[in-house]
Amino acid sequence: MTVEFWGHEFKVNIVMGCIGGFLIAVVASMFGFGGGPFMVPLMTVGLGLPMYLVVGSSLLAIFFNTMMGTMRHYQFGNFDLLFFLIMFPAAILGGFIAPQIAKRVSPLVVKRVAIAGLVILALNLLGVY
Amino acid sequence: MKRLSFFIVLTAALFVCRSGVFASGPGSGITLQADKTSLSNGGTITITGTAPAGKPVYIEVWSEKQVRASRFDSDVDKDTGKRPYILYMTHEIPAYYKLFVPKDRKENLDKIKKEGQKWSFSKALKDMGAAQVYSAPAKAKVDRYQATLMGSIIGSRGDLLPQLDEKENAKRSMQLVKVRFRSPDKVIGAEVEVNPDGTYKAVLNIRKGLAPGKYNIVAAIDKNTRSQPAAFENNITFPNVYLGNAGTSLNLFGPFFLSLFISIFGVLMGAGGGFIMNPLLVSFWPLPHTVVAGTVMPTVLFSQGSGIYNYSRIKFISWKLGVAIGLAMVAGGFIGPKLTELITLDQFKFVFGWILLVLAGLMFWQTTPGYLAKNSKEQAILKEFKKRAEECAKTKEAACALPKNR
Repeated sequence: MTVEFWGHEFKVNIVMGCIGGFLIAVVASMFGFGGGPFMVPLMTVGLGLPMYLVVGSSLLAIFFNTMMGTMRHYQFGNFDLLFFLIMFPAAILGGFIAPQIAKRVSPLVVKRVAIAGLVILALNLLGVY
Repeated sequence: MKRLSFFIVLTAALFVCRSGVFASGPGSGITLQADKTSLSNGGTITITGTAPAGKPVYIEVWSEKQVRASRFDSDVDKDTGKRPYILYMTHEIPAYYKLFVPKDRKENLDKIKKEGQKWSFSKALKDMGAAQVYSAPAKAKVDRYQATLMGSIIGSRGDLLPQLDEKENAKRSMQLVKVRFRSPDKVIGAEVEVNPDGTYKAVLNIRKGLAPGKYNIVAAIDKNTRSQPAAFENNITFPNVYLGNAGTSLNLFGPFFLSLFISIFGVLMGAGGGFIMNPLLVSFWPLPHTVVAGTVMPTVLFSQGSGIYNYSRIKFISWKLGVAIGLAMVAGGFIGPKLTELITLDQFKFVFGWILLVLAGLMFWQTTPGYLAKNSKEQAILKEFKKRAEECAKTKEAACALPKNR
């Protein structure tokens, strides 16, 4: 498939993109997260597309999954309205506060802290400690 | 004389009624009194009463509020050697259930606790001699669905099988009780002190974070010998709230600040908050993983939607590419939520652990010098292109194009 973006043409291996996107979507909706950190590497490294094409388009692809996953979870009775109303405002508020902080911290430091945090959390979930 | 005999009958009738108030079962001679009729987000309640001497006394406590529980049976059947792949599901498990057994069963209970996650509630009941008195959750109507591979792919629960008989329903309800309450000490407590003369006393500790509403207490020595129920009201007041679907009360500021903190951190590290939010939620509070996954997912809809809007305003989205991969993701999103209810909480945590390790690996790779060098170039191009796109959107020039040298 060829994709045109601002006068540039890209050849996209859509079969690989769809299979990868499908698998990410199954896992993401099963465990209830977005899936951006997996989609962006799939499209940049896996499909060889430039970052400026990927940022918006991957978000659009993920949005499809989040919509569907939300509907299905609702259908299976997994949605708790009160719980949602507690977390939703906090998530919105966080979206406004974060850019203010982002100017003052180095993204590399944040990433390293995040890696350490993720490994600790992962080992806890795997029952290592 | 007539008047006197009438008086005697009346007194006798009154006496019978009075003893009825004191919660004695029909002809059983087992009585039960509770010292409180209301609790505020848990607390202790003292139960006293009498039972026939020499019999063990069990006390069942359960809430009238009910929750959902499901269990996917894919264990090999001992008789047939086949995997049944049946989903058992009920909406009527009490949001709180606990069976208090005589204090001398404490050793049995400790042994069961040592079995770890493999413990079986039905075996525990048998070991404690309590299988006969287990009653409240046994009444929950358990539905069962025959899952098929094809059914799972198209995201259906499978065919509803015929209703279980009473005995089988009780057996399956025990498994669902385990799924719902997870650990032995949540559903069994060795707290009943039985004296040789048949009187008994138990100090019941009702934990925090439970459902509000009416709770019933019944003492029993076997299936047919049960006391009249006593009841108390559990009050949950602000800032504690009851999440009906999760069957848990919690202080609403807990998830609020966790969500705030994680969403800020998520934006900073460039990964959505759901990755960290979900495992923390199931670790901190006794929330079912299905409810956590199903409720956290919609919270990102808004930020994703506003992101898409901002990119589309400056035409920085390839709709063709996004929709093409998006359609494949819709199919994935249709199947995923179905699979959530087929796995146990422990499996949820286990797989999540590996997902996070992969994510950590990805992020580590993104901090390596080679990637950083390449990425800074890419980011510079991204920034420049975005700026041009914004300018184009402002001037509304139709024939805007980006430079060829990338």
